[in-house]
Amino acid sequence: MKSSKATALVLSLPWVLTFGVFWLFPILYSLVIGFTDYTLLGRGFNWTGLENFRLLFADPAFISALKNTFIFVGGTIPITTTVALLLALLVNRQFKGRGLFRAGYFVPSITSMVVVALIFTNLYQRGGYIAMLASMAGFTPPQHGFLFDSGSALYSIMAMDVWMAVGYYMLIFLAGLKAIPDELYEAAEIAGAGKIRQFFSITLPMLRPVALFIVVINTIKSFQVMVEIFVMTKGKFDTSTSVYFIYETGLTTQFQFGYASAAAYVLFVIIALFSIVQFVLLRRRQPIW
Amino acid sequence: MVTGKSASSLVRYVIATVILAIMIFPLLWMFRVSVMSAGSSISIGDFFSSGFTLANYADLFAGDLITRPLFNSLIVGGVVTLGNIVFSLMVAYSLARYRLLLNKVLFVTVILILMIPAHIVIIPLYVLMLKAGLYDSYWALILPWLVNPIGIFLVKQYIESIPQSMEDAARVDGAGDFRVLFTIVMPLCKPALAVLAIQVFFTNWNSFLFPSILTTSDQLRTLPVALALYQGHQAIDWQHLMAGSSIAVLPVLILFVFMQKRIVSGITAGGIKQ
Repeated sequence: MKSSKATALVLSLPWVLTFGVFWLFPILYSLVIGFTDYTLLGRGFNWTGLENFRLLFADPAFISALKNTFIFVGGTIPITTTVALLLALLVNRQFKGRGLFRAGYFVPSITSMVVVALIFTNLYQRGGYIAMLASMAGFTPPQHGFLFDSGSALYSIMAMDVWMAVGYYMLIFLAGLKAIPDELYEAAEIAGAGKIRQFFSITLPMLRPVALFIVVINTIKSFQVMVEIFVMTKGKFDTSTSVYFIYETGLTTQFQFGYASAAAYVLFVIIALFSIVQFVLLRRRQPIW
Repeated sequence: MVTGKSASSLVRYVIATVILAIMIFPLLWMFRVSVMSAGSSISIGDFFSSGFTLANYADLFAGDLITRPLFNSLIVGGVVTLGNIVFSLMVAYSLARYRLLLNKVLFVTVILILMIPAHIVIIPLYVLMLKAGLYDSYWALILPWLVNPIGIFLVKQYIESIPQSMEDAARVDGAGDFRVLFTIVMPLCKPALAVLAIQVFFTNWNSFLFPSILTTSDQLRTLPVALALYQGHQAIDWQHLMAGSSIAVLPVLILFVFMQKRIVSGITAGGIKQ
């Protein structure tokens, strides 16, 4: 079977190369330079041990970026997940025009983030649509527009992200709803359980794995929020996030490769810890709700 | 008299319609602004009262402002999609049909990279491209993404679901491994490859972060990068910016209308990662 081994290796080669050159090497390289003072402009680099990490946690820009990342993740994920579930329940039952509603809810999530961010930059500006809606609802919109105010900029971006993501997760919830056997509901009907009781005793527990899957993938994604920050605020008005910080320190003005790599690894460890905790919850037998 | 059932279905329609309006209004606003006459300030009432012109689109296509990025996005998206189809099929076939220790290890690496947050390679990929002399070239936009773990994963699962007997029969007739793969397995995998192609093309078409950090010259900007950089320029107004955005969104919308089933099945099959 020597020839089949050779064939297998040749067939796998595209991934062996891609993995080695564009994933494994960069990941290890980044880990190494995270312990150095390597910059684009400096000559060579020196080992600095844990200095980058010590500096990071004393750097107000990094702390604030980390804080904003946590606000973003903690604020959007519960809302996105809940709204996505409610949307799925709304369009799950067979009714006329259901396909149109589903498609309409889903469309924002296949639109380019840059385009979405541009549209909302317009909608959020002074005198824009959202300012008008806010005034109509009795609120005073920020004087210079929602994105030019430290009190509202980050939350405005978060609201946009929820708007964009809910349709995508709705589809995953719909697949989960479809997988629940009808017999369960029939049995509950016979046992005299009402609709609300059925929802809490059947639908919600059966959706638990799907919900946790959604939370896991959304957590990994949301911790890396960056593009909308780049397009809408460039990190100003207290909106800088961890990945924006990595970009700003590593790839603009001073090109501090080492320092930015250290920051990337801090975020990496945070994401890994969250993912591990969520996986443990995912595998637990007894429901958490 | 309205019965209880039809009242509740009316409520459902009202709620669903209000949400639909919220979900599609921003996109409608983009299209609306893109056909307003340029230079004028936009006010809220303009949605209905303002005129209609295609001049902004004509302006964009007349200059290099959008044609070059559009061309780049198409080329890069096309090559990356093609690469993923061929390479995912090859790797997935190897992982699905050859039970070797090496393949077990490779499958673990596929799962690992599937879950790893990509921000970790921003800096090292930039340095790598710089040192390799590939920074600011088409290679930088294409090479890292020619095969991705989601593709391998999806196609591997699909191949494992089809019986091996046809491949064996072809082998008995003297067909070689590559012949079997591309003439027997590939046609059978068409549904999975179609789902993969759409996902890869969409992801690539909308991608901003890596294309923006790995290139710097105007000639190499993809559509999202160009749009993001135009914003804030004194020379460009909202009408033109929204026309450019519409050009970036239209292909995705059109593909979505025609291939909704495939797109949806791709999402429910595994969930996409950028």
